[in-house]
Amino acid sequence: MTVAEPVNAGFRNEPILELRRAQARDSLLAALRELDERLPLSVPVLIGGDRGAAEGIDSTDPGAPQRLVARAGRGGEDEAAAAVEAAARGFHDWGSRPAAERAEVLHAAAARLRERRLTLAALQVRECAKPWPEADADVCEAIDFLEYYAQQAVELDHGRSLVQAPGERNTMRYTPRGVAGVISPWNFPLAIPCGMTSAALAAGNTVVLKPAEQSPGSAGALVDALHEAGVPPDALALVPGFGEAGAALVRDPRVHVIAFTGSSAVGLEIVRAAGETPAGQNHVKRVVSEMGGKNCVIVDSDADLDEAVPEIVHSAFIYAGQKCSAAARVLVHEAAADTLVERLAGAVSVLTVGQADSFATEVPPVIEREAQERVLRYRAQASDHLVASAEPVPDEGWFVPPSLVVGLPEDSPVNREEIFGPLVSVTRVRDIDQAMDIVDSLPFALTGGLFSRSPATVERVAARTPVGNLYVNRAITGAMVGRQPFGGNRRSGSGSKAGGPDYLLQFVEPRVVTENTMRHGIPVE
Amino acid sequence: MEAELQRVGRSIHAAFPARTRNPLRALDQRAMELAAQDMELRAALFRFVDVTPACHSLDDLARHLTGYLDEVDARPPPIAAAMRMSGTKAGRAALGAAAAAGVRRMAHRFIVGETPRAALRVIRHLWEQGAAVSLDLLGEATVTQAEADRYAARCLDALETLAEAVPRWPARPVLEADSLGPLPRVNLSVKVSALSPLLRPEAPDVGRDDAARRMRPLLLRAKELGAHLHIDMESVDTLEATMELVFDLLDEPELRDSPSSGVVMQAYLRESPEQLDRVIDWARASERRPPAVVRLVKGAYWDQEVVEARQHGWTPPVFEQKRESDRNFEDLTRRLLGAWPHLRPAIASHNLRSVAHAVATNRELGRDDRDLELQVLRGLGDDLAAALAHHGMRVRIYCPVGDLVAGMAYLVRRLLENTSNESFLGEQQRGVPIEELLAAP
Repeated sequence: MTVAEPVNAGFRNEPILELRRAQARDSLLAALRELDERLPLSVPVLIGGDRGAAEGIDSTDPGAPQRLVARAGRGGEDEAAAAVEAAARGFHDWGSRPAAERAEVLHAAAARLRERRLTLAALQVRECAKPWPEADADVCEAIDFLEYYAQQAVELDHGRSLVQAPGERNTMRYTPRGVAGVISPWNFPLAIPCGMTSAALAAGNTVVLKPAEQSPGSAGALVDALHEAGVPPDALALVPGFGEAGAALVRDPRVHVIAFTGSSAVGLEIVRAAGETPAGQNHVKRVVSEMGGKNCVIVDSDADLDEAVPEIVHSAFIYAGQKCSAAARVLVHEAAADTLVERLAGAVSVLTVGQADSFATEVPPVIEREAQERVLRYRAQASDHLVASAEPVPDEGWFVPPSLVVGLPEDSPVNREEIFGPLVSVTRVRDIDQAMDIVDSLPFALTGGLFSRSPATVERVAARTPVGNLYVNRAITGAMVGRQPFGGNRRSGSGSKAGGPDYLLQFVEPRVVTENTMRHGIPVE
Repeated sequence: MEAELQRVGRSIHAAFPARTRNPLRALDQRAMELAAQDMELRAALFRFVDVTPACHSLDDLARHLTGYLDEVDARPPPIAAAMRMSGTKAGRAALGAAAAAGVRRMAHRFIVGETPRAALRVIRHLWEQGAAVSLDLLGEATVTQAEADRYAARCLDALETLAEAVPRWPARPVLEADSLGPLPRVNLSVKVSALSPLLRPEAPDVGRDDAARRMRPLLLRAKELGAHLHIDMESVDTLEATMELVFDLLDEPELRDSPSSGVVMQAYLRESPEQLDRVIDWARASERRPPAVVRLVKGAYWDQEVVEARQHGWTPPVFEQKRESDRNFEDLTRRLLGAWPHLRPAIASHNLRSVAHAVATNRELGRDDRDLELQVLRGLGDDLAAALAHHGMRVRIYCPVGDLVAGMAYLVRRLLENTSNESFLGEQQRGVPIEELLAAP
């Protein structure tokens, strides 16, 4: 009995629920029943403690679009401006508090999320049709971000040690930047806004959070927990809204950092707009931008297909492929291709498509009608190459049948563009080098996978791949805070790693002080 | 009771056959000893065994082998020699051939044949030597409905093949009846996870129902053929589905009075006492005839359970100290024997202490030796089986059947067990004195 004890540096991931136990499943279903009685939730625009109207955005259940999950206020340019003004005011207090005090507030917020974790998971099931295991993991990740960044911020506050020469004292410290605009997506409706917001707050910035219009309910729950835990009203504003609110935040000269996670189109536009530095704006904006991917899994001829098939299916189809880390392509060595395709086809055709509130469901509906139409469009383009799909799917709700296509030409849009849905494309390759050439030719570099039992191949692919996160002999989704710092390169992101030891550096300014310690030729130290 | 246990233990031990002097077996033994001494080397060898069926040429085999060995810091002389061979194409071919032969030989030690038909000669021989068998069909993971169908078809074929062959076996009264009645000569163990691609830990019902629709015809055919069908237990991820499936199916009207069937209890599980309660309550209520067999094992998924639990931040579902498992094994043995005649006990262990404890407890409860079955694994418990048969005990050998690809996961698990320093077999091989082997846990 010899399994090595894990090494932890004071941080421990929040344990996911043990859903193989009936008791854990029943507790979630009970939380869902209780939540259903309180729907729709009311999510006002929240600026400096003032609650605005909670109308203008209706958040609905993707599996039952007539079910209203939350009614939220709709912030526009005016609300964004007012929120930034309040946050700029709030920065004087929050930014000057000791790091340890801010950390304590974030730990308290984590405790509040932990108390409510069942309800928060249930809310994601309804608001985003996120299946239970994924919804539970999302809440845990949110808790992890709060705990991890709180701890990192205290550490960062010690500064860095520098070379010291006689007669001088050099110190390097990190100070907060100012107001951070956080623009978050719906697919991790709690974890991602929580990660970006808590990083900014931990480092001493104040935050205006503009969550995705599809998931204001979850964002509201996050903001409530942070305020209750002691984040001052001026230090955190919530502006639910559409693109106009986000664009106003990006343009605002009083904003110092923009933290964005979402599509490439919007991300690149943010990078462009934030680069403009109008007169009166005395800083260069920092943009943290996490964008899309076209994530490839390479399967070598010596791969263990018993392992590869379920892990690929999980990576590509769980949560209907709506994770930026999800597998979109499989590049398989020709020696293993026939068997892999046959087994993948069989595994895809038995996927359970259904409502997110059923534990049996693996593939829920996609988030909205536009998403459904987009994925079906790509699917139609590849229809001649369709090898397997799980059908029929329910009529009500934004369902798309999970599908496997094989042998598309390399330049097919299905092979090149991010689809963000339950569609995976298999391509045969002569060898691992050809697979790596294909990965190299894509504009994205977020996650990647490799199934191989050769240490030399693992080393070779790891050395050459451009992706931010390479997973070997396992699923390519499910990055854990502190264990798999997450983020992409190339057009997938700005290279910062959420949940990693460098992330907070995006939210601070380094300052170095050099003091002459000589007085009249005499060292005073 | 303790005195009787010691007496039984020593007499079984005395009946162990003399060590075979087969040179190839000695070579394998040497490889296992090397592996047991060095964790890095052990990992390298298992990774090699695991990849063997996926390698496409001798050269490919040799490259994988040296790739793994390259990661071992301290190389014993035979390994260093292998690394030197890998420098040339001819050397790699020779190395690949030798390594492949080694893996095949080890596989043959644990796996009785590629198909049930091919295994008939071996299992008849075992029967003649006084040991019954339970056949287990090894397979790749089931991820599609076609694979589940194929596994079910293989199970049917195994039942038919055995049923056709066993009437020609000689009479072995010890193996064919206990005081409750006859015991089937045909005995097949099946895995629920192989009967459905839909088994998922968070949704046990879906997989259970899908596996049940394939298990039912197997049970019905076993009933017609007078065979025993045993439902194996795997990791905790499929525990709930497996238990529910057993209770539901065996309570169905057409399956209530046969075939002979059974379940497995894993003593390394912290929750196993409550599980045994459930099984005993069910057995008393169902009045099933013939009574279900409960095979008590230690459990074969220890590393997997602990790693998975630690990765998720859960308390491991298994005892982390071997002693706790061993003590629990004895507690469960006593309670299981106490549940006779509602249940038929089968104690599956290679631990001499556990086996002697079961025999002594059974006698203490005033039961006949023939109402206790002892089980061992092919390749690991062969000597123990011979000793038990020598003493006129009923012993059954769990015999895996399948090709090398299908058998690999099983083979690696068995090798892990055989090279673990804490395993009873490891202690026995190191020559730990009988007093310690029989000491109370």
